[in-house]
Amino acid sequence: MQTDRKRRREKQVVGVHCRVSLLTLSAVTKRYPGVTALDAVDLGVEAGAVHAIVGENGAGKSTLLKLIAGAERPDAGEIRWDGAPVTFASPRDALRRGITVIYQELALVPNLGADANIFLGMERTRGGVLQADAMRETAAKALAELGLSIDPTQPVARLSVAQRQLVELARALVRDVRLVAFDEPTATLTAHEVAHLAARIEWLTTKGIAVIFVSHRLDEVRHLASRITVLRDGRRVWTGATIDVDEAALIRHMVGRDVAYQRHPAGRAPHAAPVLDVRGLTRAPAFHDVSFTLRPGEIVGVAGLVGAGRTEVARALAGIEPWSAGEVSLSGAPYRPRTPRDAIDRGLAYLPEDRQRDGLVLRFTVRENVTLPVLRRFARRGQIRREEETRAARAAATAVDLRPAPPDIERPTLLLSGGNQQKVVVAKWLLTDARIIVFDEPTRGVDVGAKVDLHRQIRSLADLGKGVLLISSELPELLALADRVLVMRAGRVAGELSGDDVTAERIMALAVETP
Amino acid sequence: MMRRYGVVIALLALSLGAALFVPGFLALGNLTTILLHVSVNAILALGMTFVIVTGGIDLSVGSLVGFAGVLTAAALTSAGTLGAVGVGGATLLAVLVGTGTGAAVGAANGALTAYGRIAPFVVTLATMTIARGAARLVTGGVPIGFPAADDPAFAQKSAALDALHAIGGGRLPVPGLERGFPVPALIMLAVVGAGAFVLTRTRFGRYIYAIGGNEEAARLSGVPVKGVKLGAYAISGGCAGLAAILLVGQLKSGGPDAGLLYELNAIAAAVIGGASLLGGVGTAWGALVGALLIGVLNNGLDLLGVQSFWQEIAKGAIILFAVTFDVWTKRGHHHA
Repeated sequence: MQTDRKRRREKQVVGVHCRVSLLTLSAVTKRYPGVTALDAVDLGVEAGAVHAIVGENGAGKSTLLKLIAGAERPDAGEIRWDGAPVTFASPRDALRRGITVIYQELALVPNLGADANIFLGMERTRGGVLQADAMRETAAKALAELGLSIDPTQPVARLSVAQRQLVELARALVRDVRLVAFDEPTATLTAHEVAHLAARIEWLTTKGIAVIFVSHRLDEVRHLASRITVLRDGRRVWTGATIDVDEAALIRHMVGRDVAYQRHPAGRAPHAAPVLDVRGLTRAPAFHDVSFTLRPGEIVGVAGLVGAGRTEVARALAGIEPWSAGEVSLSGAPYRPRTPRDAIDRGLAYLPEDRQRDGLVLRFTVRENVTLPVLRRFARRGQIRREEETRAARAAATAVDLRPAPPDIERPTLLLSGGNQQKVVVAKWLLTDARIIVFDEPTRGVDVGAKVDLHRQIRSLADLGKGVLLISSELPELLALADRVLVMRAGRVAGELSGDDVTAERIMALAVETP
Repeated sequence: MMRRYGVVIALLALSLGAALFVPGFLALGNLTTILLHVSVNAILALGMTFVIVTGGIDLSVGSLVGFAGVLTAAALTSAGTLGAVGVGGATLLAVLVGTGTGAAVGAANGALTAYGRIAPFVVTLATMTIARGAARLVTGGVPIGFPAADDPAFAQKSAALDALHAIGGGRLPVPGLERGFPVPALIMLAVVGAGAFVLTRTRFGRYIYAIGGNEEAARLSGVPVKGVKLGAYAISGGCAGLAAILLVGQLKSGGPDAGLLYELNAIAAAVIGGASLLGGVGTAWGALVGALLIGVLNNGLDLLGVQSFWQEIAKGAIILFAVTFDVWTKRGHHHA
């Protein structure tokens, strides 16, 4: 890491004068009805360098990527590509000029193989007949260059997110890409996968390919990028070399205010009887012999790599999927939920990892989402009492600091930022009066301001005497919040840390090492 | 705004055009006739809306109109029943048989879809075929209804048919309306009003939208997804049964081929009325307005003496227009 940075610094010093921008955006503006998404933003991206774009949700990063990808056209300003002004007629046009954007929602056809996906839209044919062998060979070669040894004909649906990402990258390489833009590429990757992707990104730059890297993870940004642009509210607030800025300064630029992470949990030492007691919970092959306790007023963190079985355990406890062996008791009574309803009725709330897919009815308003699990309470003989419902929804939305205040509970959740959507999910489960709240990656893809609000919320839930299980891949989050940390590896509890033992090093060591 | 009232505006524009250019359209008698003709389709479209909002489809309602219809007619004109419970009792029984059959088959559709996890298109395609075959089997292919002149129970059977006709084809005397107000139209308004209430004001209705909007999120929120889906299909089937009763009453007979292709008209009305086949979107009043739009169009073209073939083409064009309009207005929502 240290030497990496030094090397990059040297690279930069050498490169400062001889590099020219491959892609230049000058004072580009993009307006949508009622909002200026980008306001006279400048951006210069050099060949063979990584340029990171950071900013809170709603800062304009996605819009910027859409302009670069040719999916949208600016209302004002100029885009220059390779020294000449251009107007991208369509994503296809941008693609043909050598620009590929790899979105968070990967654009692959799940039931086709990597080879078919890589050549989608540019199939090699002879007399109208696909040259499958030639394409498969080329695909395999491109995949191998990226360190991915898979059968290129198996459906990409069977690949992990990280592998699919590399398939998209291989597709770009086969098309002689000159600029690759990544939108939050590491949000769902394990530490190991992140390291692999980072290495591949460095390799891209050695081939003279320009990289745009959009991410919330400032440590990665600082590790990978030589230059960083910070957007806030559609404006460029800062651009400069990575070596000129530290993390605190970046956060300040992003949020326009100082945000301090509290480094330690409140130091609670509850002695009450466990509200949740899990013994030997097993469902092969997802998880084996998982045991832990959770006391009222306690935050127990669950660390581990993606695929360690954390979400599976949570889903089992939430009545979504069954378990095959093991005993669980909740508030001293045997607990074996058969449906999510059972879990809710027993006082266990599960806030799923993918809030858009599992957590919210996006078309519903804030009010309708928030009251969905507890609608019974507002219904008399099936009829919903609207005033009671509204009152409860407003109180819950206010309690989670839904912004802007006072919260508009009649707004469709579709139109909210990621952070606000997550707050709606929290508000929803606040209303259930659960005794146990299981958070699964509560702040993933959430902007810094909302993250602070959510952390405060999680703490205050524990202060209210709830048992909180916090699944998180963000070590600072676990360090800041958890009283104890359970580390899972390959479906088993690899260890449990408490007190001064809760350190990033100990957690990572348990999560990755083989015993 | 346009999205919400677009169909209403289209209906008003079409009615205005018809009023200006179609002689006889604006006559009160004609307007009530439109309501009469629309009532069966509007009731089917209402039930269909429940199913479509959950993200499903119900292809069986047309056949169900036929099947529930022949059972209704059989119960109504059975000499045994008439002898035992009289005309009034037989009429009540017939109504129960009609709606009960519809709701039961609908519940079976829902059970197969929700608990059996079979695609609703396939399930209801199968029950559509089965119900039509059953209707033909029960009747031997011949309509059940008006008794032969030498039937010993002729008087009772005629009286029973007349009793049901009061529901399906009757008219309530209204001052100023020469022929009165059609009873089926009143039933239609009541049913649509009840449907609107259930969809917008009850827990069950909220669950219907939640399931269509995001089934997984609804399930994780503790919504009894399977039960609610079953309920939606049962409502659709029940509406088909009710439509069958009105049709038998109107025609004084239950034919095995009654209701042929009605499912497509019901889907058309629901979709024109704003329901999205992707689920989560649709309203009861929208279904009514969609049915009215089709009814006004048919009536206007009828009065102009346009061939029915052209009417079908016009109806198809309106469906395309409605859906295109829907897609276009939705496109504006994407940037946020």
